[in-house]
Amino acid sequence: MVNAGPLLAVNGLEILFPTRDGLQTVKAVDGVDFIVRSGETFGVIGESGSGKTTLGRALVGLLAPTAGTILHDGIDLASLRHRQARHYRRNFQIVFQDPNAALDPRSTILESVREPLDLVGVGTREARSQQALAALDRVGLSAEIAARYPHELSGGQKQRVNIARVLTLRPKLIVCDEAVAGLDVSIRGEVLNLLAELQRDFGLTYVFITHDLSVVAHVSDRIAVMYLGKLMELGPAMDLVDRPLHPYTMALLSAEPIPLPSTLRRNRPVVLKGEIPSPIDPPSGCRFRTRCPHAQPICVDTVPDWRELASAHWVACHFAGQIGSDIVGTHQQ
Amino acid sequence: MLRPPLLSVQDLSIYFLDGESRTPVTKSVSFAIEPGERLGIVGESGCGKTVTGLSILRLLPPHIARVEGRILFNGEDLALLPPSAMRRMRGRHISMIFQEPMSALDPVFTVGEQIAETLRAHFSIGAKEARARGIAALADVGIPLPARRFDEYPHQLSGGMRQRVMIAMAIVCEPKLIIADEPTTALDVTIQAQIVELLCQLSDRTGTAMLFISHDLGVVSQTCTRLLTMYAGQIVEDAPVDAVLEQPRHPYTSGLLRAMPHFSERRSNLPSIPGRVPSLWAMPFGCRFRERCAYVIAGCEEEQPMRHLNGSAARCVRLNELHLPGAVN
Repeated sequence: MVNAGPLLAVNGLEILFPTRDGLQTVKAVDGVDFIVRSGETFGVIGESGSGKTTLGRALVGLLAPTAGTILHDGIDLASLRHRQARHYRRNFQIVFQDPNAALDPRSTILESVREPLDLVGVGTREARSQQALAALDRVGLSAEIAARYPHELSGGQKQRVNIARVLTLRPKLIVCDEAVAGLDVSIRGEVLNLLAELQRDFGLTYVFITHDLSVVAHVSDRIAVMYLGKLMELGPAMDLVDRPLHPYTMALLSAEPIPLPSTLRRNRPVVLKGEIPSPIDPPSGCRFRTRCPHAQPICVDTVPDWRELASAHWVACHFAGQIGSDIVGTHQQ
Repeated sequence: MLRPPLLSVQDLSIYFLDGESRTPVTKSVSFAIEPGERLGIVGESGCGKTVTGLSILRLLPPHIARVEGRILFNGEDLALLPPSAMRRMRGRHISMIFQEPMSALDPVFTVGEQIAETLRAHFSIGAKEARARGIAALADVGIPLPARRFDEYPHQLSGGMRQRVMIAMAIVCEPKLIIADEPTTALDVTIQAQIVELLCQLSDRTGTAMLFISHDLGVVSQTCTRLLTMYAGQIVEDAPVDAVLEQPRHPYTSGLLRAMPHFSERRSNLPSIPGRVPSLWAMPFGCRFRERCAYVIAGCEEEQPMRHLNGSAARCVRLNELHLPGAVN
């Protein structure tokens, strides 16, 4: 059965955690709605407490929603029995930030890459090893790497091993949670280019979670901006970066350190005041209001509606569209 | 006759000791900082920038590291100072800000106790005055309700606040030089912007010089007037920031700039620098970057000194011929 709908459909998603003493709740994800279409790269950007990492884990079934639903290819995994759910979850995989933590230091690279296939139990061990070698080759690693141990590889190589490991299961969607943040800038291109290539060759869909605007702007078709568990803005990457509608997005763009000579640097950076509030006790109304340079009384009382202001460009702000963006995107088209 | 620089590092070579053997980590690093100047050192993991910063304050344990070369501060060689004199130097005339405020701050003492400790180590003042000066320092770094924060513990503060506390500790004795090692790397980007602005304002107002160590070219170009690029234990470029960004003189600096997604078309292939940094134990002779360099020629197998051109310096034999891509097309 081919599902013609979106690959992921998130509705009213809430993920709440009790604090250690059980007396309070961390509202990590506090009401989020969006879809992810097959074949696209959906970027999610946010800072500490935004909920983006929690969201990523929920998308691959590592965390269960407290409320709301996530439909994977039209199916609600929470409604399935454990073994059935596991079968569908294969299609949705994740690559994490720290290439070291993801690899068992006592397993060879081959063993690590073959492990998902071993767990699923398909075919003979020899056949699975062949598949693992093919995956390693696909990510540009030679067969002689297979017998090595993680500590013998560089950060970039280890991250490519993690991608190979995920590829063995032929997933439909890969969540990349800060997948290049732990790598030196000069080698990030390797991994990002590989991900783009694999997307073209295997028709993969990505949810790319990061705090790094320049990376997310480069790889994404659409970008969602999260703050304290909610979406602030969501739109096509180019539109969001060149014509941001939400003051938080404008501040993020403005805060991004770009190595431009002083003559070309934009003036009037928006430096936000204050700290990021705690997700245990987010501000009432619009949760960005405590740091927003445009906040008004209505922002205290009323949660802004999530509305589509421009084509496929959504924003949650009472004054979106009325706020002049002094920030001209410096990203090239 | 020009007055001497505030800090003059000359032929700094650092070795890590392991029993009988020693492994070179930096080789003949030389640079100078003028009073009030903000100098950035940019490089990726393993280039030696952090150990260089630590060695200036002689924070590398002598049984682990051997430091050779001269570190002249106001004309005095720090490498020759006895430990007691060095202790009087640290925090008072040269101070340091680290990357992880939670590791640098003692969790069992209040923030105020730690600032007061710094003050009272260098000045003979009483507890009351130390408290007053400490609260003033917290206010200076933009911490709201500083009198209250003074009595709080590090874990009660956010990452950005803790970093401000570290900066307060670094400035409270009015040093001439602050060494900042990745001071904003662990912070959210909107908080990073605040801290960057704070450091620049403080430095402008008090005339304190800064040595800003980072892997982030963007942050360094926003805060500093001059930039050093380090690769595999050596300085490979030394130039004013605008000059480096417009016209880098070393292929590594150019590669680093071009690798940033800002300078590539969206969705296109991102440039990267092929290969890996050579291992400390297998450093190639001649230019250390030559195995990864797109512009390599036969002359690159010779030892490369720093060469000068129009106010910039680079460790490249082709300095006068190459037109390397920079931040501007």
